[in-house]
Amino acid sequence: MAKNVLLVDDSSTMRKIISRSLRQAGLDFGEIYEAGDGQEALAVLEKESVDIVLSDINMPNMNGIEFLREKANRPGIKDIPVFMISTETGDDIIGEAKSLGAVGALKKPFTPDKVNEVLGPLM
Amino acid sequence: MELEKHLVDATLEVFASMIFIDITPAAPSDEPISVLEPNLSSLIGLAGDLKGILAVHCPSAVALGITSAMLGMDVTELGEDAKDAIGEIANMVAGGLKVALAPTGKKIELAIPTTVIGTSIRTSGLSGATRIMIPFSSPIGRFGLELRFILA
Repeated sequence: MAKNVLLVDDSSTMRKIISRSLRQAGLDFGEIYEAGDGQEALAVLEKESVDIVLSDINMPNMNGIEFLREKANRPGIKDIPVFMISTETGDDIIGEAKSLGAVGALKKPFTPDKVNEVLGPLM
Repeated sequence: MELEKHLVDATLEVFASMIFIDITPAAPSDEPISVLEPNLSSLIGLAGDLKGILAVHCPSAVALGITSAMLGMDVTELGEDAKDAIGEIANMVAGGLKVALAPTGKKIELAIPTTVIGTSIRTSGLSGATRIMIPFSSPIGRFGLELRFILA
């Protein structure tokens, strides 16, 4: 069954690139929802049926780490998997993200082939 | 520290992976950014062991060409799309610099990019900062990458 995806990134350009990369990779997904920061992402998760979240880390208002921490405290959405897509790929910050439930990370910049390789198994 | 090389490598990676426009770096220059006649500049603040700003300076045609390539659609107006796209390039280049410096023990924190549109754009940095300016050429014109920094 096709999965519904939530893209969380303060850059609308990056959200479009990720969306296009998912299509170019031929991955099977349903609806694509978008949010510009962690706060908006939480609102979407509370309202829509989302199967997987692809989230940036460095964002205004509520960054990706804060988003993971807040999401973990909300029983209705805490088990939705989150995959980080970010320039922030140091061991320390990715380690923190994973300790808060992130299931993996992809470094920006990326190619459509890399998206397919990394996200394909999750779709 | 090979900061110039890290900046060039990070910029080349961004363009090869996500923009698909061939760019060629020139030697670092002491020239002011005004020689590039920029109409759009995206700046990202750096804190930590390397403090300062990293900026991408583009004339209109280059900013529009890059934005069109990133979005896969024809962008003809220097507006929100171009500000966001060039800001994201600044973010990714700064991220590349952060990753490249990590093995040396130097840690950088990145701010959120800010973009300005206009004419006669100038930058200034921290007192005593070192400046690196790297011009790049491409089929759609020249643009520049500027780093003003102080190393801890």
